[in-house]
Amino acid sequence: MKRTFLGEFEEIVLLTVAILGEEAYGVTVTQELEQKTGRSVGFSTVHTTLQRLEEKGFLASQMGGATAERGGRRKRFFTVTAAGRKALVEVKQVREELWGALPPQTLQLMGG
Amino acid sequence: MPLKPPLLADRFLKFFCAPHLLEEVQGDLHEEFEYQVKHVGVRRARWRYWLDVLGFFQPRYIKRKPSQYPQTYLFSLNMLRNYFKIALRSLQRNKVYTSINLLGLSLGMTCGLLIFLLVKYHLSFDNFHAHSDRIYRIVTEQHRDNISYVSAVPSPLGKVFRNDYTFAEKVGRICTFEDMLISIKAEKGLNKFKEPQGVAFTEPEYFAIFNFPLSVGSFQNALNEPNTGIITERIARKYFGNTNPINQIFRLDNKLDIRVTGVLKDLPTNSDQKAEIFVSYPTLKSYNDWLGSDDAWGGIQSSMKCFVRLRPGVSPSEVEKVFPAYVKRYRPTSKNVHHYKLQPLNDVHFNAQYGGAMNKQTLWILSLIGLFLIITACVNFINLATAQALNRSKEVGVRKVLGSLRGQLFWQFIAQTGLIAAIAGGIALGLAALALPYVNQWFATEISLNLLTDWRLVAFIPALILIVTFFAGSYPGLILAGFQPILALKGKLSQQNIGGFNTRRALIVVQFSISQVLIIGMIVIARQIYYAQKADLGFNKDAIMLLPIASTPQQAKTVKAQLQSLAGVEQVSLCYSAPASNGHWQTAPHYDNHSEEESFRVSVRAADNDYLATFDLQLAAGRNIYPSDTVKEFLVNETFAKKLNVASPSDLLGKNLRVNGNMTGPIVGVVKDFHDHSFHEDINAVCIPSASDFYNNYAVKISTANVPATMAAVEKTWSKMHPDQLYEYTFLDEHIASFYETEALMLKLIQLFSLIAVFIGCLGLYGLISFMAAQKTKEIGIRKVLGSSLAQILWIFGKEFARLIVVAFLVAAPIAWWFMNQWLQDFKFHITIQPWIFFVTIAITLLVATLTVIYEATKAALVNPVKSLKSE
Repeated sequence: MKRTFLGEFEEIVLLTVAILGEEAYGVTVTQELEQKTGRSVGFSTVHTTLQRLEEKGFLASQMGGATAERGGRRKRFFTVTAAGRKALVEVKQVREELWGALPPQTLQLMGG
Repeated sequence: MPLKPPLLADRFLKFFCAPHLLEEVQGDLHEEFEYQVKHVGVRRARWRYWLDVLGFFQPRYIKRKPSQYPQTYLFSLNMLRNYFKIALRSLQRNKVYTSINLLGLSLGMTCGLLIFLLVKYHLSFDNFHAHSDRIYRIVTEQHRDNISYVSAVPSPLGKVFRNDYTFAEKVGRICTFEDMLISIKAEKGLNKFKEPQGVAFTEPEYFAIFNFPLSVGSFQNALNEPNTGIITERIARKYFGNTNPINQIFRLDNKLDIRVTGVLKDLPTNSDQKAEIFVSYPTLKSYNDWLGSDDAWGGIQSSMKCFVRLRPGVSPSEVEKVFPAYVKRYRPTSKNVHHYKLQPLNDVHFNAQYGGAMNKQTLWILSLIGLFLIITACVNFINLATAQALNRSKEVGVRKVLGSLRGQLFWQFIAQTGLIAAIAGGIALGLAALALPYVNQWFATEISLNLLTDWRLVAFIPALILIVTFFAGSYPGLILAGFQPILALKGKLSQQNIGGFNTRRALIVVQFSISQVLIIGMIVIARQIYYAQKADLGFNKDAIMLLPIASTPQQAKTVKAQLQSLAGVEQVSLCYSAPASNGHWQTAPHYDNHSEEESFRVSVRAADNDYLATFDLQLAAGRNIYPSDTVKEFLVNETFAKKLNVASPSDLLGKNLRVNGNMTGPIVGVVKDFHDHSFHEDINAVCIPSASDFYNNYAVKISTANVPATMAAVEKTWSKMHPDQLYEYTFLDEHIASFYETEALMLKLIQLFSLIAVFIGCLGLYGLISFMAAQKTKEIGIRKVLGSSLAQILWIFGKEFARLIVVAFLVAAPIAWWFMNQWLQDFKFHITIQPWIFFVTIAITLLVATLTVIYEATKAALVNPVKSLKSE
């Protein structure tokens, strides 16, 4: 079975978009990521990743209406597509399978 | 008030970011900036903004969204191929046009190429020695009533300077005697050679300064012992063939036997150090006792050069400060005449004062002429191409309708020009290779055209082609590209749309101005040389042979007697030199009972009593000297009297004269002035004593009947008397002509250049006339219908060209007059620039111009008006 490949960062970004729901665009995704993971991410990196996910079909985007802040410039909102959801589920399944296969004593050793 | 993100960063983003992404990216960035300002402060927010903007500088954001319409690109391979194909076709169709352009451009480029080679060659002189920026030659300024410059120094100077000071890393003395006789014992008899570049008595340190490597032997012991020497590989082959030259013996000037202790690699051609035989310096003492001694401070022999390489950081002015002390210590009796200076090595080749071979100014002028010729060739191209532009209007129209951009049409034309320029460049290279031997002969250079080793040349040719392409192609290219497609397709374009008729007129004027300046220059130089050679020099120079005296004074008298007895020999005189010669034997005279020496210098022309008769010198007062072997009596010239401010030459008679320290006697006669040097110099004061020790030449006046037989007899007599010498002779008139070698070369060059300039100018004229003929087709038709005669129509053209040439002449005449007047100032005796020179110039130009246009003009005038008026 051919699996969709999701990079680690791509996965996190995709998840963040899913969390944010209707409000997901460049700035919110970046800030959410920084708060949740505590790591500083480059603005352009997030942007590029969003675009790449859209090209892969995991995200869809549309331009929002004119805004009052940011000089009246419109925002591009991202939503997770069906394929995106499927990819997230698959990734989660793989993780869980792997965790399940972990011998119990190893789990104990890791302090779990 | 909200804070603004850095303006420059924002602009940069706007510049590189694709328009369809800009809005969201910039919006997000701004929002993030505001957020960051609140959280981390302005400074860090601005810093982060910059980083973020730079983060977007990647292909994903730079790449523009493809437009929905197909785009035309300026360069596409298919179109380029098409450009060249069309270019070739149109060149093939317009054969006359193509060949005129090719001819003009390749001639211009050939000259450019050759001049480039020549300039490059001269600039490369002696640039291959280590630390050449620290190498200097010690030279002497002699301050008397005027300053004279000598590239030599008293022989002991180098030695004391080396011992007394630490300024120099190396001090090397070299004393070169030109035209030395070398003889080598062969199986039978002697092999005799004359080396024009001479033999140099050299200290080993000379070779530590100059980079001339040995192939056999080492400098440590090659030049130390007396009577040893080193030679170049070329000389070794010439003298000893294939035998090992080491320890072979050659004889110098029938005086010294020299043993070869080393062989030098052949010297590079781009060096002013020309001697190929080097003899150890200690040998000099036995060759010339005075020069080789440590106290020869009395005078300067021009053969004695001294080179130094200074330590790093030592400035030449610092060194020059210590020299006056030497003058005081070693020359206490003579007034402070000698001023020793350091001349940088890179000045040696260019400084004419110290006998530099090539004037930098000449190189500049040559480069300028080369540039002018290339410009005229390009101007021509522009002229012809714009004249031809109408013929291509249909093509341009079709291309534009099919979507060509202006830029593409421009590049298409540039491609065509590039093709012509490249072919012309190839032809120029071939022509240059053919002409190079002549150039080398004229300039006495050894330039080679080697594309494999000479990267400068390899870079120059494409650069030249490129420059010519753009210079010649841009203007017509712009005009072609600017055609309106509708007018072009309808054939409604008139010459007005092409415009620039006045530009083209101006270009023609420029071309003809250049040509006429050159023509005037050519005539003036030719006249001056003719004048210098034909004017009365004050003595007879025809049919006089000069032979060297190579034996003792007693033997010389025997030879003279034998020569005199030959049939066909009219007179023989033993003399130091001919009345006019390049030699400078000058000394300050002591006249009468004056206590001090005079302030002027007198040329000593020692000669026997037959001198006057042989050279037809006229006496103004007194009588000839009586035969004598030693100095008994003097003849002087009229200038001598003038410099002494004596009222009448006869007042000098009987007065005592002392020159050269020890030559003394009464003045018995005054000869009329004669030119004792070239016309570059004033007539000097001259004295003629008899002094057989100083005679160098037999001057043999022969009758003009049966010259070959007389010459053969002279040679036979001379050779019989000097079995160990090499026979050589010069004719006096040839010797005098050699004073003007530079001028003769200049004449040849300017003849060539003006020929080329006129030729290229005529090509341009031809372009203009064909252009005019096309423009005036209708006008001529109407005129003919209304009854114009052929002559009247021809005059339409004639008027135009006569006007252009006259304007060009008005520009050229003052420029040429000024330049040639400057040039003539070099001569103390020169012609005046007369009006007829200008008349001849304009007549020649008009004639050539008429010949150029007459065919096209007649053709245009003879067209049947029915044909020219029919199509509308």
